[in-house]
Amino acid sequence: MSTTTTAASSTAALAPVLAREFAALLPENCVITDEVGLRSYECDGLTGFRQVPAVVVLPRDTAEVAACVAVCARHGVPFVARGAGTGLSGGALPVADGVVISLQKLRRILEIDVENRRAVLEPGVFNLDISRAAAPHGLYYAPDPSSQQVCTIGGNVAENSGGAHCLKYGFTTNHVLEMEVVLADGSVVTVGAPTAEQAGPDLRGLFLGSEGTLGICTKVTVRLLRKPEAVRTVLADFPSIEAAGDTVGAIVDASIVPAAVEMMDSLAMEAAEAAVGAGYTVESPSALIIELDGPAEECDEQFAEITRICEEHGSTRIHVADSADERARVWKGRKAAFAAVGRISPDYIVQDGVVPRTRLAEVLSQIASMGSEVGLRVANVFHAGDGNLHPLVLYSEAAGEHEKAEDLSSRIAELCVELGGSLSGEHGIGADKACSMGRMFTDDDLAVMQRVRTGFDPAGLCNPGKIFPTPRLCGERPGPFRPHPLEEAGVISRL
Amino acid sequence: MNTTPSSLVELRDAVRDLPGPLVATGAGTASDWGGALVGDATGVSVTGLTGVITHNPGDMTVSVGAGTPLSDLQDTLAAAGQRVALDAARARRGATVGGLFATADAGPLALGFGSLRDLVIGVTVVLADGTVARSGGHVIKNVAGYDLAKLLHGAYGTFGVVAEIVLRLHPRPSATRTVALPLADVGGLPAAGRAVTDTPVEAAALEWVDGRLLALLEGTEAGVEARASRLVDLLGQGAEVLAPADADAAWVAHHDAVDRRPEDRAVVRVGVAPTRLGDLLTGLVADAGAADVTAAPATGVATLTVPADAAAVDAVHTRVAALGGTSTLRARPAGADVPAWGPTPTSAAVLRSVAAAFDPDQRLGRGRLAPWLPVPEGASA
Repeated sequence: MSTTTTAASSTAALAPVLAREFAALLPENCVITDEVGLRSYECDGLTGFRQVPAVVVLPRDTAEVAACVAVCARHGVPFVARGAGTGLSGGALPVADGVVISLQKLRRILEIDVENRRAVLEPGVFNLDISRAAAPHGLYYAPDPSSQQVCTIGGNVAENSGGAHCLKYGFTTNHVLEMEVVLADGSVVTVGAPTAEQAGPDLRGLFLGSEGTLGICTKVTVRLLRKPEAVRTVLADFPSIEAAGDTVGAIVDASIVPAAVEMMDSLAMEAAEAAVGAGYTVESPSALIIELDGPAEECDEQFAEITRICEEHGSTRIHVADSADERARVWKGRKAAFAAVGRISPDYIVQDGVVPRTRLAEVLSQIASMGSEVGLRVANVFHAGDGNLHPLVLYSEAAGEHEKAEDLSSRIAELCVELGGSLSGEHGIGADKACSMGRMFTDDDLAVMQRVRTGFDPAGLCNPGKIFPTPRLCGERPGPFRPHPLEEAGVISRL
Repeated sequence: MNTTPSSLVELRDAVRDLPGPLVATGAGTASDWGGALVGDATGVSVTGLTGVITHNPGDMTVSVGAGTPLSDLQDTLAAAGQRVALDAARARRGATVGGLFATADAGPLALGFGSLRDLVIGVTVVLADGTVARSGGHVIKNVAGYDLAKLLHGAYGTFGVVAEIVLRLHPRPSATRTVALPLADVGGLPAAGRAVTDTPVEAAALEWVDGRLLALLEGTEAGVEARASRLVDLLGQGAEVLAPADADAAWVAHHDAVDRRPEDRAVVRVGVAPTRLGDLLTGLVADAGAADVTAAPATGVATLTVPADAAAVDAVHTRVAALGGTSTLRARPAGADVPAWGPTPTSAAVLRSVAAAFDPDQRLGRGRLAPWLPVPEGASA
């Protein structure tokens, strides 16, 4: 990444030049150079990583994005695309003396094509607004990250976002057909096609989840699905984590693919209940939220089967959420659990790792002992159906526990890799976990990924310092976790 | 002097050490798909890399050697009540998982489950210089690093030789039903397709062949029985639930149609937005010599044959592209010189620069993606 280092160190003096060139391209209020304005772009949802950029630009369409990128390319200045800034891995962390290209002004829903079940969107459209726009036609957009009220489709593209229902419906990559992309040299290309059948290597799939390092998506065509006829949701308490885990296994063995299976431990339920009052049993060691959807006949039949499996595995309470309101309440508690942890601990760190689902009990027991060893509590809320954990390491900054907590959190992610899983299921690598990539991939694996990057962006200007380990990044220690303001307000969560 | 390595290490050594251009081969069921190979290339067969490496039924994942025939894999998985949700027609002829992946093949189940690009969760690949790289992993949910598997899907053996593939699995349905609806005219496909997809019965596949629209319902015995009756009621107009033997025969006939390899015609796979499918196919049949049409109205995908001359195939590519669709040559008579791909997309610039980083001398599959990936000068046949 020597290109990046060189570019960054020589661009400080360029800021006024850049600002002038951007000002010639954009209206006055679309170029931010004042200290206060710049500071609001210094971090994303991972607030422990901060860097004030040199300039922030807010282009209004593809041509303006391309023109801004061309300015950066001409001067060899690194740039970082940014959507709503809700990312949890520092993927939108600015580069020192670099440019932030905010896509918040590209927020039009360009088309809802009902007959072909497609939506054409600008990247700044909020995830939930896609489903809102499609709802009158009985359609929706399936990927549903918990931050869906405030995260953008462009950010979802960058992170290949999932959500609770990706167990059945897949991730962003399974729902995007075509993208318009501004490359690092300012050229504009289209990857994919607005059709199910695609020809040749799947550059669209390669770009999805590349965390803003291969270009800037300025338009995206997604699939819309017909809303399922029936939805059934149950909240089931279990006497142990193991019993809940075995229940999930039995559901899989019964050839049932639920829309979602979520697990919470008692600590997480205690926090969620205190915050939202979702009707959880706080003294229960664990609980599952299981949701089925589909044609009514089949949904009812499988729901009966799931209830039977829960009983067989010693469920101590089975609560069926039998109205839309009740279902929303159960999910609200689940989605609020993260921020709610703030009620039972002064500080906490959010982790995101994946293990093969069959190793859930094993990883949870190891996490518990790792926590006890260092005297820290860990709350667990996770997507049990696909083994995606979100351990919350609770600690006190005031008591000087930060370093210990960071260390525990990192070791948990790396434990997931050791157990055959992944460093990240949905939050991304970004700046946060770049230094752990060597635990999951060999030097050759990473070097081949770098060849992709070089092919797209030979000068390394597009969101440098993310995904790939670099000495500069890996030498730094992040600050303590601070919740996103919207999270504190209970609007979004991190799960 | 073709070679058949029997391990990843042997494959790496072969790719690294053999001189000149190479072509990855499998069962040979699609050797005439896509662009024709240019010049003499040494065949590197992956058929020595076969079998299940790990199958974790509880995690619904499997990793296999790229040379594993899909049908063998399905037999193995069936014992655990699982399957790869892919039913490409040429699997009957022994197509390998690696070959189906490299050619982006898929069958009727693509409506419900997508193609292999949607099912692959990890890949091990050998690059032209012998570098062995892996991306993804063994878990279904995973966003760590670039998804190299997507670059290799549909790459026809360029960019690298796929050695191992990790797939997510689905349960085998305990029951199926097929509802058939007579439909004589391809022009009526979009409306007939919507008539099915606008109902809540959730077909796993929806295909038109031999004058009938076939809707495949998968699920529990009671579930599919009820859904099939409901669909027949909703569709009316001669819709019927096929008896099991008739349903099986209908889907075999569909596979036969998609997988046909006529001696004097080229087979082309096309995809457009579903609303455009009827007009496209009507036009191609009326005045571009298209025939033998099968079509999936909900995905907008069709397979058809045209005379095996360059102008006829090019006409298909041009018309499809004009509708914003995609088209790929699927099979051609030996020696026929017909264009494999449609107009070069704007993203070809990226394709070329990534290819230059992966395989600067274009040793692998030279010509297969031409002209999107042009054959190096001086390398013509």
